Amino acid sequence: MFKNKFAKALVAAAVSVLALGATAQTSHAASSTIQVYISADTNIQDLWVKQLIPAFTDAYPQYKVVVTFDLHGDHDAQETAKLTAAAVLHKDPQVDLADGGFVQQLGAAGLLWRPTAGLLPNIKNVSKSVLAAGKGGIPYRASSVLLAYNSDHVKTPPKTLDDLLAWIKANPGKFTYNVPSGGGSGYAFVQTVIDKYLSAADRNTLALSANKDLQSKWAQGLETLRGLNKYTYGQNGTYPANNAETLKDLSTGLVDIASVWSDQFASAQKAGTMPTNIKVVQIANPPLTGGAAYLGIPASSNNKTGARLLANWVLSPAAQNLIVAGTLSGLPVIPVSMLDPKAAASFASVDISNLRPTYLSANANDLKSAWASAVPGK
Amino acid sequence: MASVNTEAKAENLEVKSTSRSSVLGFFMAAPPMLLVVCFVGIPILIALTFSLGFTSGPNRVVSIIGQEIHKKDHWWGTFAAYKDVFKDSRFPGDLRTTLVVSFLSTFLTLLMALGIGLYQRIMGGRIAAIMTTLCLVPLFVPVVISSWAIHTFYAGDGFMRSLLSHFGINFPTVTSTVSAIVIGSVWTSLPFAILMVTSGLQSIPDALIETAQDAGAGFFRIVRTVLIPLAITPIVIAGTFTAIGIMGSFTIPLFLGPNQPTMLGVEISNFFGAYNRPQQSIVMAFIVFTAASGIALIYIWANVKSAKQSGRI
Repeated sequence: MFKNKFAKALVAAAVSVLALGATAQTSHAASSTIQVYISADTNIQDLWVKQLIPAFTDAYPQYKVVVTFDLHGDHDAQETAKLTAAAVLHKDPQVDLADGGFVQQLGAAGLLWRPTAGLLPNIKNVSKSVLAAGKGGIPYRASSVLLAYNSDHVKTPPKTLDDLLAWIKANPGKFTYNVPSGGGSGYAFVQTVIDKYLSAADRNTLALSANKDLQSKWAQGLETLRGLNKYTYGQNGTYPANNAETLKDLSTGLVDIASVWSDQFASAQKAGTMPTNIKVVQIANPPLTGGAAYLGIPASSNNKTGARLLANWVLSPAAQNLIVAGTLSGLPVIPVSMLDPKAAASFASVDISNLRPTYLSANANDLKSAWASAVPGK
Repeated sequence: MASVNTEAKAENLEVKSTSRSSVLGFFMAAPPMLLVVCFVGIPILIALTFSLGFTSGPNRVVSIIGQEIHKKDHWWGTFAAYKDVFKDSRFPGDLRTTLVVSFLSTFLTLLMALGIGLYQRIMGGRIAAIMTTLCLVPLFVPVVISSWAIHTFYAGDGFMRSLLSHFGINFPTVTSTVSAIVIGSVWTSLPFAILMVTSGLQSIPDALIETAQDAGAGFFRIVRTVLIPLAITPIVIAGTFTAIGIMGSFTIPLFLGPNQPTMLGVEISNFFGAYNRPQQSIVMAFIVFTAASGIALIYIWANVKSAKQSGRI
């Protein structure tokens, strides 16, 4: 008898578990909830969770913002697939506003709501070319990769890429950049060396569209990068895994020059983890890449109104001041004249009107793969 | 008449109770079976079809997003993605690194586990017990933490280099090398291997060892002809589990290994994420799967052998 009851209970439990799984999906987020998906480093997480969102909910207490965070964009491919699937099937993607490197790719595929000045008034303050490059993404902050150097050991930092390459060979073991697939600061150095051998028109094409034929012109740059293996820090052409490790190698004095993100470097100095004798400079011919970070509102989002309100607020001077003066030390996307003058002083060394764009993600993915085949350990 | 009736009744009851217990057994076994079929078996089949170029149905979205996707050109699919992987200049190095690290780490792990196990079995006592317990500590340290600890220990600015530089010795930077992956893999695999091997050695009766001693056998002869043959099944099981675990490892080669060549676990993740080539990453996953199946055969052989010895089959 007991056995029979027990078996029945097991069946009942199994059925209820299955039923639970089936019903869990049908619950919907209320329209007062804005679901934000962030794929970035922890400094961007802090920007949203500790500064932007509290200030936004103070201004609009009727809204609740729920954040999903993906460190270093490790799941970008899956998230892109999920958002694409949701758009194709006309299902709620459970994301109202996305911040990540994949936003432009979604925009290019026509899966984002296209921002218009009518529904997003603050967009009129943003540069038209930066907006166009987003392909439907909403630019909300900018950052640039810069050259960080130890001013105790390097009295005259390199001014151009050629100067830098000569310096690296003259000072073996004192320069590094991280693996391009592990972080954007290393990627920027790789693309900059590649671009040295490309015409301006070719660079522009690769920034705007996927192009396999032009990729054959990467060979010369990859050869130059391979030639640097024996002069960079690390044995047999090994490189730091990510942005954070590059910063660590700089701050502990293992290397004297490295490529770093402007915002991560400024945050580290503000937090005291980067010594003050480490300084940053931009090189020329060509400069290290930079550009805007984009927000995307998925076309099938359930709460586009809330997402637009949040995006519009992020473009307001109040929010841009937080981006510039807060822990992130980012660059603004609205004219400097609209910002608090004290906040604007912090990025005097960066020419924000002239940021050199990175390749479109499809080309960038191929470059990361080409680098891994041609450079490390060779 | 009456007695026959009772007998029939008893038989009937027995039939009923065996059928009841078999129903119960089925429902107890069903949830894990369902779980494996739904969440492992079916996805593996879908992935196999995707690697062969079936890009519709469940593979539609991933083929819209992914780069370098090959669509099938025969009714059975295409081997284009497999060709991509075998022609890729990174693949031979990655495969070699994966196999060398798996073999070397498993060998060293078993050797060390046997050392501890034999010490405890033959010498015994308090020190042996303390040593065995200490060896189990890595079991309670998460892999991420231990890999990072090993990294800071052997890095360019790590403990070993800092300490030895005071004595004028230039200790090599071990991180970003295959040796570092082997060190990390042995560190994390050792506790399980020690548990298996020591329990195997403990179950050998003292009488057998004493008889061998009385017959004049020395230490190494006892180990070679009595202890290892009698504990071979747990040793083989420990070895196969260790090898399969290391072959599929990700965290340790990511933190401690070189950028290139790396182990296939890391390369699969690179191809799937950074390079956005899901089809090729699945092909690599099947290659690891095939290699691990080869090791699993050894495991099955060991199990069958032990079942035969104990008379279960």
